[in-house]
Amino acid sequence: MSQTVAAEPGAGADAPAARRRSPFAVGLAAAAVALVIVGFVASVGAFPESWNFGLADPIDRTRRWLINNQTSHWLYTVLLNPLTDLADAGIRRLEAILRWFPWYVYPVFCGLGLWRVRGRLAGALGFCGVVLIGMTDLWQQGFATLALMGVAVFLSLLAGIPLGIAAWRNDRFAGVLRPTLDAMQTMPGFVYLIPFVLLFGIGRVPALIATVIFALPPVVRLTDVGLRNVPGSMVEASEMFGATDRQTLRLVRIPAARPAILAGTNQTTMLAMSMVVIAAFIGSGGLGQDVLRAMRDIDVGEASEAGIAIVIMAIILDRFTRGIATLGERGRGQGTAAHAGDSLRAADTVTIRWIAAATALVALVGGIVSHNKFPEWLQWHYAPYINDITAWARDNLYDIGSSGIGTGPLSDFITVYMVTPLRELLSSGIPWPAMIGLGVLGGLLARGVTLGLGIGIALFLIGWLGMWELSMDTLAQTLVAVAVTLAIAVPLGIQASHSDRFQKLIDPVLDFLQTIPSFVLLVPVITLFHVGRIPGIIASVVYALPAAVHYTDLGLRRVPAEVHEAATSFGATRWQRLRRVELPLAAPELMVAVNQVIMLVLAMVVIAGLVGGGGLGLETVNALRRSDAVGRGFEAGIAIVLLAGILDRLTRGVADRLRPPPAA
Amino acid sequence: MEPIVTVSGLWKIFGKKVDAARELAADGAGREQIQAETGCLVAVRDVTFDVHAGETFVVMGLSGSGKSTLVRCVSRLIEPTFGHMEVCGTILADASDTALRELRRSKMAMVFQHFGLFPHRRVVDNVAYGLEVQGVARDERHERAREVLSTVGLDGWADHYPQQLSGGMQQRVGLARALAVEPEVLFFDEPFSALDPLIRRDMQDELVTLQLELQRTIVFITHDFAEALRLADRIAIMRDGAFTQVGTPLEILTQPADDYVRAFTQDAPIAKVLPACSLMRPVGDVAVEEGWPRTTETATLESALPFLLSEHRPVVVCNAEGDPLGLLHQDDVAAVLEQNLR
Repeated sequence: MSQTVAAEPGAGADAPAARRRSPFAVGLAAAAVALVIVGFVASVGAFPESWNFGLADPIDRTRRWLINNQTSHWLYTVLLNPLTDLADAGIRRLEAILRWFPWYVYPVFCGLGLWRVRGRLAGALGFCGVVLIGMTDLWQQGFATLALMGVAVFLSLLAGIPLGIAAWRNDRFAGVLRPTLDAMQTMPGFVYLIPFVLLFGIGRVPALIATVIFALPPVVRLTDVGLRNVPGSMVEASEMFGATDRQTLRLVRIPAARPAILAGTNQTTMLAMSMVVIAAFIGSGGLGQDVLRAMRDIDVGEASEAGIAIVIMAIILDRFTRGIATLGERGRGQGTAAHAGDSLRAADTVTIRWIAAATALVALVGGIVSHNKFPEWLQWHYAPYINDITAWARDNLYDIGSSGIGTGPLSDFITVYMVTPLRELLSSGIPWPAMIGLGVLGGLLARGVTLGLGIGIALFLIGWLGMWELSMDTLAQTLVAVAVTLAIAVPLGIQASHSDRFQKLIDPVLDFLQTIPSFVLLVPVITLFHVGRIPGIIASVVYALPAAVHYTDLGLRRVPAEVHEAATSFGATRWQRLRRVELPLAAPELMVAVNQVIMLVLAMVVIAGLVGGGGLGLETVNALRRSDAVGRGFEAGIAIVLLAGILDRLTRGVADRLRPPPAA
Repeated sequence: MEPIVTVSGLWKIFGKKVDAARELAADGAGREQIQAETGCLVAVRDVTFDVHAGETFVVMGLSGSGKSTLVRCVSRLIEPTFGHMEVCGTILADASDTALRELRRSKMAMVFQHFGLFPHRRVVDNVAYGLEVQGVARDERHERAREVLSTVGLDGWADHYPQQLSGGMQQRVGLARALAVEPEVLFFDEPFSALDPLIRRDMQDELVTLQLELQRTIVFITHDFAEALRLADRIAIMRDGAFTQVGTPLEILTQPADDYVRAFTQDAPIAKVLPACSLMRPVGDVAVEEGWPRTTETATLESALPFLLSEHRPVVVCNAEGDPLGLLHQDDVAAVLEQNLR
């Protein structure tokens, strides 16, 4: 009853409309329209290069200064170098421990563990997967990746869980932290590497730091959310028994928030995995390095072996961390099937002990006799076959029977009719002042003055940094990829929402696609599409597809059954129902899908700079490859962040607009 | 007899201008008027009562009447705006956090509407929670928890998780958890309202039986008038944050203070809910004869009705040992039933 606080009359009711009428907004809109008109009348084209603010030079100077002072300046001798050494020692230590165990512990442990959390088939696949990593002679690289990741995840959790608790405890801190996390999550992982390369040079430590920061948001957010969602009744009960705040936190709140915290841990692990792979660009070593090297040589076979090893690791880690999150829940069970639940628990405990004992025994024996190298007689490479398939695909699928059907014509079609015209339209067809004016208008309509102004400033900054044309190139690729993704995903999502069977069919496929680290996705795509802008776009589509299907399905499924029935009872056809009832009701959710797709696509398009995607991505890739390009790369990185911010806020603004007004 | 719980002039006002709201309320302004003028919500309005040792004091009111807020103020789960509360000799308003915690650990316990059980802890760990918080060693608190579980009829469920139990069983766990700390005062916040009617009745009967044995001081919140009649030594009817009438079930039934209270009494199946002992008069000088009809103190009035209708002798109300406690006279019962039918 304490919650029955009166609603302020009029509060929250149509505030946007009021804001739109403010003189400030009218002025801004007029200015934006004037910019558009002036831009077209004067037909100034792209942002003038002569206005370049020139951030690259000072950054490069800083970089040179940092390199020269790496052994002498106190910043390094007192702070950064010891830190580097400590982190490096930690990774080395973990790697040494991982290597101490006999090789067969890993397949056995993964096999039994997955059997336990996911069932027999998963166990068998897990076992085979780990063996396959060893067979392709990627054992050592796998450990390097795993060690870097292990330390990164450990540090992320070490920092993230207390941050989450602090955010839950202190609303003001949460108010600062949440937008920061939002901003962090809109930045493509790639961009994180640049500042740390600047500061630390290349190596494992900047990779580690970038990974820790990149992987941090989910666990912070979900710890915060989990603690906030602990039912008040439980907390009240605890207080009523005279528990101190600390006791309530330790005995009630954290255990009750455990599922959320573990879900956050799972997401953090997966982000760390994808980042560790990307961090190969700055010399993190491990499996990512193998993929990178093979991709530079366009050796698809080698790239596939390393890529598949990464995917196997990612899937096993994902299933394990998810399995742990659901394990406790399964044991406790729901409903009143109490005795069944109990015997399940008992069986669980027995198998866990059994697995632990068996693994420990095998590990101990094998470790002592040092069976820690994967045996050579088990080695078998499948790279040659992949290369054969690739060659065949290039010869035969590129233009099937010279009929104009195949991957070649497809990529030509996308290039000629979609990407190139759009890029030209954005970079020179629309004069830059008009582009800024349109951005401001978009922001005004989507949310209000702040967003309009913000977009205007961000676009101007992009031009000022000298990144106008590259940004428009990246934007064009992003928009094409988003359009293609939605064109495929929305029908799939609609179908999935209507048919449980279809959903069950595509769910594992999407789940699998989602587990693949972004960078690895490029491998199969370049098999079919060579290098250039198109493989980046195709990879982006594949990368963003699962999220898009998922959100479409989710949005449509949230439409209440009564509404469905009401529409049907009026004699609506399926199509009418979809178009007039379901899609409008699911519109905000679909807009969230668009938002997610844009963010994922942008992250991928940037990475695709590696395979000839051009645009901002290429500049960042160059920055990580050549030390004299760090300045340019830094500018490109800022442009990517600005672009991501604009697109994110714009789509979220629209999504909020589409939401029905809250109940009175 | 010393009161265990003393509450006087208790107010809970949500909002900023609490003084203005209190003045308006004291002048007799209604809830809407106060809200319109001050933006405040008066949830509890100048409530005063005592609860004596071993007494069951039931606060009955419809939803929104402020009864849950009241019980939370009395246990200081939420801070009252004005007023004086005393539990077991400790003045709650002045109590430091430590003193309050100490009081909660040793003297009071609460049973919640939605059970408030911890889904991540086994039943036995739920029950032992209060003891764990006090720092009781594991073996000892588990032993105590198992004992209490068997008093509420949950032998053998100790190692289950709460979600594996039915609603009624879950609330038994809630009750056991409260009893485990051996509190002097038990607060019940609509403990049975989430249960279906048959289970609710069982739980009420069980509570009556337990209370005969334990003789705790109980403050019980409910929106169910029949439940109030069945359990209460005294009932307070609450409306718009204030008590409209406080009295024994019999007083409430026979002398309702206003139409609001009368409306409740008219729907109450009196004969089914009032215990026989509630209408009895002391035996006094009357010589109880061997052949007189008898009933027990926990039996309802209904059980005595056949005798009262067929014979012109009083019915003897006996305790469990068969000793006469009092006499039930036809006139008294007829008066109550007549009032009820009006």
